[in-house]
Amino acid sequence: MATASSRAQRPRTFADARAMASSSSELGWWVFMRISGLLLVPLAFGHLWANNMAFNAGEIDFAYVAGRLAQPGVKIFDSFLLLFAMLHGVNGLRYSIEDYVKRPGRRFAWKMVLFTVAGIVFVLGVMTLWAFSFEEMGDAVRALGAE
Amino acid sequence: MYRGREGQWAFVFHRMSGVALALFLLLHVIDISLVMLGPDGPFDAFLVFYHNWPFRVGLLAVIAGVVYHGLNGLRIILMDFTSWGVRYQKQMWYGVLGLTTLIGIPVLWKIVPEILGVA
Repeated sequence: MATASSRAQRPRTFADARAMASSSSELGWWVFMRISGLLLVPLAFGHLWANNMAFNAGEIDFAYVAGRLAQPGVKIFDSFLLLFAMLHGVNGLRYSIEDYVKRPGRRFAWKMVLFTVAGIVFVLGVMTLWAFSFEEMGDAVRALGAE
Repeated sequence: MYRGREGQWAFVFHRMSGVALALFLLLHVIDISLVMLGPDGPFDAFLVFYHNWPFRVGLLAVIAGVVYHGLNGLRIILMDFTSWGVRYQKQMWYGVLGLTTLIGIPVLWKIVPEILGVA
């Protein structure tokens, strides 16, 4: 049974979602938000723990970030966080645009702006995490310590 | 009734925190990308600016938003994929608020003295 009590009329259960989805790709995104959300709980909490609780975030500088991004484990962890957070966040912003921007032309324009900005930022994030080889990053950190 | 009850507030907070976190994510990736310009680039000068207290208080809001959005997301998953989730959604929402507050205590205990410069 598809409940229509909320203004946004979002499905509340998987059965609702299957009945209400306008296309199989919308059902796919509905499922993706749950799966990526589940993965993002340990990814985002772990990221916050490392940079705000295990360290004083007020002392973060180039050497700290370079040191972290020289570690393969951090690169891989943050890459998964970047991927899932970007997809989850951009899809959430798309839902918001569709809920609040009703005029078709404006809705299309907002979405194009969102996807363009998100695409550029995602590439920038991948470049930041992987631009340097581990060795080059290690050299950069050592050079910093030698100064 | 849905309007004005727990379920609607859960949705409103989830939507507001979600939009805020998505916008923060875009900004955060851009600012960290400045490390690509090297140790002599603008990164350190930029971070000094970020270490001012209004931004550090803002970061506390980001942490609160992540914890609420994540825990409420788990509530949504339970509502969607279990037979009992919708029946206990109100209790679970109070659980989300309680757990968010509980996690907030050690976070504030650690970070507020850092902001005040007495850590």
